Amino acid sequence: MSTVFSAEGFRALRTSWILLALAVLAAVAVGVGGHWITERDKREGGASDKRVREARTRLDGARRERDNLAESAEVFRALVERGILQDERRLDLVELVAELRRRHGLLSLDYDIAPQRPLPGSTFGSVDVLSSRVKLRARALHEGDLLAFIEELAHSPRGLYPVDRCVMKRIADDAPTTLRPRVEAECSAEWITLKEKKGAGRAG
Amino acid sequence: MTSQFLYLTNTRMVNLTANAGRLVARREFAVSGEGLEDFERHLRNMDDVPAHIITDLAEEDFRLDTVPHVSARDREQIIARKLGQIFRGTPYKYAMQLGREGDGRRDDRVLYTAITNPEVLRPWLEAIERLHIPLAGIHSAAVFSGNLLAALDLVFPHALLVTFTPGEAVRQTYIRDREIRFSRLTPIDLEEGQPLGAMLAEETTRTWQYLDSLRHFGPQDRLEVCVLVHPKDRPAIEPALRDFAQIQYRLLDIEQVAAKLGLKPPPLGSSAEEVLVHLFLRRPVPNHFASPELRVNATRRSARILLNRASMAVLAGGVAWGGYVASQMVEADRMDGRSTQQLQSINREYDEIVRSLPSRGVGGAAMRDSVAFYNGSIRGYPTLTDFLFPISEVMAVHPRVRLMQVAWQTANDPNATPVLPPSAIRTAPPVRAIRRPGEGGTAPAAATESPDLPFAGGRFQVAVLEGTVRVDGADFRSALGEVDQLAADITKVPGYSATVSESPLDMRPGTSVQGRLGESEPATSEARFTVRVVRERAAP
Repeated sequence: MSTVFSAEGFRALRTSWILLALAVLAAVAVGVGGHWITERDKREGGASDKRVREARTRLDGARRERDNLAESAEVFRALVERGILQDERRLDLVELVAELRRRHGLLSLDYDIAPQRPLPGSTFGSVDVLSSRVKLRARALHEGDLLAFIEELAHSPRGLYPVDRCVMKRIADDAPTTLRPRVEAECSAEWITLKEKKGAGRAG
Repeated sequence: MTSQFLYLTNTRMVNLTANAGRLVARREFAVSGEGLEDFERHLRNMDDVPAHIITDLAEEDFRLDTVPHVSARDREQIIARKLGQIFRGTPYKYAMQLGREGDGRRDDRVLYTAITNPEVLRPWLEAIERLHIPLAGIHSAAVFSGNLLAALDLVFPHALLVTFTPGEAVRQTYIRDREIRFSRLTPIDLEEGQPLGAMLAEETTRTWQYLDSLRHFGPQDRLEVCVLVHPKDRPAIEPALRDFAQIQYRLLDIEQVAAKLGLKPPPLGSSAEEVLVHLFLRRPVPNHFASPELRVNATRRSARILLNRASMAVLAGGVAWGGYVASQMVEADRMDGRSTQQLQSINREYDEIVRSLPSRGVGGAAMRDSVAFYNGSIRGYPTLTDFLFPISEVMAVHPRVRLMQVAWQTANDPNATPVLPPSAIRTAPPVRAIRRPGEGGTAPAAATESPDLPFAGGRFQVAVLEGTVRVDGADFRSALGEVDQLAADITKVPGYSATVSESPLDMRPGTSVQGRLGESEPATSEARFTVRVVRERAAP
């Protein structure tokens, strides 16, 4: 060992020691540099993957929105055709009620349309849900006529009239053979229209 | 890797060059005269080839000894001291530890050997020193020749290996149980007409007598004498060798031995140096006689080779790592390019989708809200007709019951109850419960209706049915049962539940009951009752 690890030994093997030192330095430099490069690539790869993931998430959201809107578009088109997104046209309701009364042979029909107001409990960011309370009191010979009248009003192709209350009762009659009302109904409905809020954005 | 073997005898120096485990060149020099100059001239061309000196000299002495079996460190000190005492005048000495004695203290057996005359080596070593030849070691041919019999699978309790050396000498090495015990070199000095075999017979017999005098043999022991000989010398040897009870001769054909050891080409004569050097190449033995100072060039050469190999290994590792990093960079670039393409493709599709979203005159958000309101509040909104239809089917199987009034409403709360003013009954039964003020009857419907109440989503429909049940005479029991059954039948309809709110005749102990029975009672009467019905909309 002293032959190699002595001053004379180091002198004799100087070139080999220098070569080894240079090799170690070069290897360390390559190792450190390579590690730095691989770490940088890993970071950049991670960031790139994250960008792709985010873009894919955004795309998935857009696809979902497109699919939802495609489905919603059909519903929305039906609502537009029913005039839901128009201003309230009260004359239409007056004519509708008169027509239904005639069609179902109601003996009498009283109704009241209250002033339009926002529908309580329905708040949306892009549309105002407006409603007018409609109260109806009708009399008929048979309860079937009353029910048909209410049913047709609720399913009217022009406008939304969800009937939420009804009291239907028999009318006492001392002379059942005479042509007098036998059934009476008092019902309430909401006449609903929608109005887009000003400044509501498309993308929402 | 090239190496050279300098086989030194008392008369010849044979230089054998080996490369890749095979002997590739041979030069022979005389020990006297111009042999040394020729040798030095030859050596100048091989100044970087490590050299092994293998001695096969008459000056080699062998002493067998035993030392107490002590710790390794003490044993080394004892052996070194004894070696110095035995061979005082030479630096070329070596102690080889053998096995242990079989009995007694079971001492360690040691073989001491030395080149007793250093002068035989000096001129050769000076030449090597001058030329800076890396001397790897000085080895005794006798010491490692014992390996030859083992390599040939010739293992005997007592064997005498007889080999011829360059320069007309014969070496006899006594091997007992694979351990070398003794060796001697004898010059071949034949008398007039004496065949070589007779001389061998005399010498081996003399050796046996010497060993026997040292009590190496028992009465039944026999010495196997193995003579390594070339076929061309066999006729001169074989006839003179006669086996005895104590000695048996075996002639080992040197060509067959060479073939078995893989030595090509086989030696051309009986001289054993090529066989022994080849054996050394196959099974290297440690240095025997060379001091560290003599081996300095070889040691530094080995260190230089080791350092250079380490440098190459480190560089190779660095290059390999660099290659790996480069491949990773290429892969990263490829992945980056793919990610960019994916990103562009995704963004393109996203833009196309955004551009294709329908608007229909109002914003997408407005459309979504409109549809959300419709789906959440209006779609599937209940109607009175749908509610009453299943109930009318139930009523059909209860002919004693007559429906008078229905108060129906939609609600978000199943506990909501619509108001219903009681109807007047013409033919009330003579027995009835008297209600306290505020009990039973409800306020007018208008009283609970307010434009500020939240719009009912229609999850629940609640109705109060007012009716009458026919009472035959005073049979209230069946009338009560009829109304209870009506409620139970309504409850059987999926989604419906019904409870009797006001019984035809309230029989609770807390209520007052009034009966007005006259002289003549009607055959039937109508008792009023109410039933509360709740229907829950099935989940979508």
